[in-house]
Amino acid sequence: MSPEYSDQTKKKVEEVISHYPKKEAALLPVLHLTQREFGKISKEEEALVADFLNIKPIQVREAVTFYSMIHQKEMGKYHIQVCRNLSCTLMGAGTLIDYLKDKLNIEPGETTPDHKFSLSTVECLGACEQAPCMMVNFDYYGHLDKKKIDQILDDLE
Amino acid sequence: MSKEKTKMIHIQIDGKSLEVREGTSVLEAALQAGIEIPHLCYHPAFPSEGSCRMCLVEIEGRPDLELACSFPVKDGMKVSTQSEEVTKARKNMLEFLLAEHPLDCPICDKAGECKLQDYYEQYGFFESRFEEKKEKKEKKVEIGKTLLLDQERCILCTRCIRFLKEITGTRELGLFNRGVHTGVNIYEGNPVENNYSGNLVDICPVGAITDKDFRFQTRNWFLGSGPSICPLCGRGCNIDIEYHPGFPHFPVPKRVYRIGPRENHRVNGYWICDYGRYHYSYIDEDRQEQIVDNKKEKLDSWERVLDFLKERIKKLYYMNKTSRIAVLTSSWLSNEELFLIRKIFQEDLNVEKIFLTDPLPGEEDNLLLTPERSPNSKGASQMGLNFKELDLNKLAERTEVLLMFGSHITEHFATAQTQEAIGGIETKVLLNPHISDLNSLMDVVLPTCVIAEKEGTLTNVKGLVQPFSPVFEAKGHCRPEWEVLVNLAKKLALNFRYYSPFTSVKPIFKKMQKEIGFFGTKK
Repeated sequence: MSPEYSDQTKKKVEEVISHYPKKEAALLPVLHLTQREFGKISKEEEALVADFLNIKPIQVREAVTFYSMIHQKEMGKYHIQVCRNLSCTLMGAGTLIDYLKDKLNIEPGETTPDHKFSLSTVECLGACEQAPCMMVNFDYYGHLDKKKIDQILDDLE
Repeated sequence: MSKEKTKMIHIQIDGKSLEVREGTSVLEAALQAGIEIPHLCYHPAFPSEGSCRMCLVEIEGRPDLELACSFPVKDGMKVSTQSEEVTKARKNMLEFLLAEHPLDCPICDKAGECKLQDYYEQYGFFESRFEEKKEKKEKKVEIGKTLLLDQERCILCTRCIRFLKEITGTRELGLFNRGVHTGVNIYEGNPVENNYSGNLVDICPVGAITDKDFRFQTRNWFLGSGPSICPLCGRGCNIDIEYHPGFPHFPVPKRVYRIGPRENHRVNGYWICDYGRYHYSYIDEDRQEQIVDNKKEKLDSWERVLDFLKERIKKLYYMNKTSRIAVLTSSWLSNEELFLIRKIFQEDLNVEKIFLTDPLPGEEDNLLLTPERSPNSKGASQMGLNFKELDLNKLAERTEVLLMFGSHITEHFATAQTQEAIGGIETKVLLNPHISDLNSLMDVVLPTCVIAEKEGTLTNVKGLVQPFSPVFEAKGHCRPEWEVLVNLAKKLALNFRYYSPFTSVKPIFKKMQKEIGFFGTKK
């Protein structure tokens, strides 16, 4: 079945669109709203967005595949993004990524079978002073070590 | 062009003083002056993109090199396209472009007409410093009925994407992913499906998009090319016909291998449609190359057939019975040929039964393809020929000599129907470039030339009169219709002095301009 926005999201989408001189200019904020509602932007959501913005689905796909914050597949309940850029790597991010891979038994880019965790490696979260660091959904965790990771994951429902 | 007079300004490129229109880019100014600046992503039909960065030039007073394609000219600007810094930058850009390029030129269909290959030979010649593995991408994506995409050869100039956005508006291709993974592709297997897809092959500067119709048929450097007019609809698109002249000791299966657009902004811009591009087989296939003599009266040479025709026509003429002659014309004939038919049959012989048999109209699109499936319907309608409504009974009634140009009547009536109607006509002559079902119904079939083999002018649907000349020699015994008509007129000798200067198409055209108002008022 093709997805439809909830009344609340639909209202927000329409409002965002009204802020721009051209409908298609609202593509990125609409994608964020859409992802918040459906958890992903797959073919069906692309069609929905394209329809609202009066553009072709291919134009939505171009943006979706360009931006790493837009997901084509649904992420787990908790999306863990570990920085692997310079500062974090110097502070031992590599070991932590391996530790997370073993602990969750998945590779970066994968989701656990129970859909609880997704693991990604990212380039620089802009928090080098807390290196090594990671994000779980929209929360930052810095000065990480294995013990701290165990504790963070244990605290998540 | 806008009514306001655009301001002209003066610039210098490589020390050469130029006067250019304000608002043009440095690259356009250079190209207009015949100065070549390497470029891959720039195409005159689209706004500049600036993604290939091959057109970097030095502009006096600017701290860095600038992109010629997107830098507008300014009065007094001094540009250098050959300085050491510029050539060094070109070399560096080529190194970037070639880092991820497969370098499979020996098996690439584009080799020989690839801009990347050309530029490497002009400005590159470096040893590869790239030690890493090249990115693996799709090598053979079917993106359209006749199109194959090789993502590894693609340099991401986005000309194809911009064509589908700006010209057809269909947007079948997009640019997906990011960085080194970026690639052109179709969406969810929906192929490029419009009547202009073949142009993507032409505008692809490298071998990323190749044409299944042309791919691996021949190497493009063997081909000769000649300008012509596409006769497959009424638009009169300007084309280049690319043909194989053959090898000395090795026969090639056909002459024409490829049709491409020839730039003309009054007609087709930079493009042609797929209908015109891929239906070129009529030039080489099913051609009538010999005279067919079904009467077995030794009508086996042009001379004998024309003498035979002359006798028949003259007899009726002297008996004042030229109403028993019927002529079936077609708007596949050139203006000059239709003019000669008017002069000889309508004026000299007072023939009334002149009909027009055209191919049935086809689909049109909103760009170039017209519903008319012949190149000269406008010319035929402006020639002052009194065409009778096409009716087999009226055509055959009391007719003794039938002269038929082309076999398009088969599209209007079943062959059996035609046979029944014209069976009783004493003399039936068909002039046709192709073998058709009508051959067995005729006394004589005369082989004639296709547009690519003869000279003349055609009037397109907009009324533009365009000349064309032969790209290659006529097949077999084929002769152009205008020549046959002039020879016949001379033999009839009704007005010998009028026809004797008609040794080529030019004097016929001049006479036509004088006599037919429509052509006289044209430029």
